[in-house]
Amino acid sequence: MDFVEEILYLTSNYGTDLLNAMLLTIEITFIGFSIGLLLGLPISLGRVYGPLPLKVILATYIEFIRGTPMIVQLFFIYYALPIMGITLDAFTASIIAIGLNSAAYQAEYFRMAFGAIQREQWEAALSIGLSRSTVLTSVVLPQGMRIAIPALTNEIIYLLKYSSIAYFVTVPELVYVSKIIGARTLLHIQIYTVTAVFYISMSIILTKFAKIIEEKTAIPGLVLKGRT
Amino acid sequence: MDNEKLLIIRDLHKYYGKHHVLKGVNLEVNEGETLVIIGPSGSGKSTLLRCINLLVKPDKGKIIFDNEEITGKNIDVRKVREKIGFVFQHFNLFLHLTAIENVMLGLVKVKKYPREKARRIAEEALLSVGITEDLWSKYPAQLSGGQQQRVAIARAIAMDPKLLLFDEPTSALDPELIGEVLKVMEKLANEGRTMIVVTHEIGFALKTADRVVFFDDGRVVEEGEPEQVILNPRTERARRFLLSIRELYRLE
Repeated sequence: MDFVEEILYLTSNYGTDLLNAMLLTIEITFIGFSIGLLLGLPISLGRVYGPLPLKVILATYIEFIRGTPMIVQLFFIYYALPIMGITLDAFTASIIAIGLNSAAYQAEYFRMAFGAIQREQWEAALSIGLSRSTVLTSVVLPQGMRIAIPALTNEIIYLLKYSSIAYFVTVPELVYVSKIIGARTLLHIQIYTVTAVFYISMSIILTKFAKIIEEKTAIPGLVLKGRT
Repeated sequence: MDNEKLLIIRDLHKYYGKHHVLKGVNLEVNEGETLVIIGPSGSGKSTLLRCINLLVKPDKGKIIFDNEEITGKNIDVRKVREKIGFVFQHFNLFLHLTAIENVMLGLVKVKKYPREKARRIAEEALLSVGITEDLWSKYPAQLSGGQQQRVAIARAIAMDPKLLLFDEPTSALDPELIGEVLKVMEKLANEGRTMIVVTHEIGFALKTADRVVFFDDGRVVEEGEPEQVILNPRTERARRFLLSIRELYRLE
């Protein structure tokens, strides 16, 4: 059999397994990213505009997450929490670990985006009598979200690849399933080629999709730039 | 002219760290009056304007606006700002909103008008500064500097303020666009609005101002009739400054 035939052999015999594994990888990526977005946005707002004690707590959280490997965070949630009486299944532990991790990074991306909004926008908004919270929702967020899109695109592509750490807690995502298929068929190069092609294709699709969102939300005539 | 005082500033001080920016400003503005403030860069004119609408908190002294001491305690800062329009040197339009949305934002979010009413008022304000319907749905980055500044003026007047503050409104404009903005300001002054204008445009001051103040080093150095302050200043400092400005104009 030549290389192409072997790959076809794999996809026809293990197609369903691979497809399910890919879907699980995509699921972990998107749920993890969504948790990160839902938590990251308020974390960044609290960190930039909140009272001092909150700022300190959130900064500590971010430093803690950024300063420890994601795999350690996952093991903590999966293996250490049960000792404290919180037992989670592998999938839930994975999306929580990835979500909490991504929240810290996304909070930093948003913080940079808010920081890039000119002070003059604040002055103008306050000068017509808007409250600080309305300035946030009506001026800072709409502009900041746009600035943050490229960084968030990076983040979701990272997560797509980092979702493979769920392998270590036996979630049957793509790497896990590939390893089993590889061991069973001994077609290691072939199966990991399929895996690699999937990751690359997905990241290209995500990049294109982000580009479309960026263009759709672009402000006519204006290039909004993050701080470089 | 109605002589009721809309704004009274007494011994106003402001420090930025150790830097003493305002060193005891005393100033009064009558209702319906157009006051022009001239003076060198860095003399504290912008800081003074920002103190008046409380974008900057003064360290000492009093500001009485519309019979209320706004430097006192328990002041609703937003209510004060709502009554004072501010026009910035760099326009500061909301970049993500169209011209008409820029004008509507305050009407909807601060005055809580329904959108249709806000839109009607915004349209009226835009037309009054010469921004025609074809420009209403343009974004700031698609407008010329002069158009942006006129939208910014519309945004300020749409809120129906009692006082309008202009912080060097034409300094960031290309020379050929200055005229259209000054014309709008002249119209507003003639309508009897109360305005404080910080500017280097002495032509505008001579033509439109009721009173001119020469401001330097954190203080009011001289004040009086436009002709007197601009053409025959009493103090040496004002004379030197105005001479250099008039020189510039002659060269142009």
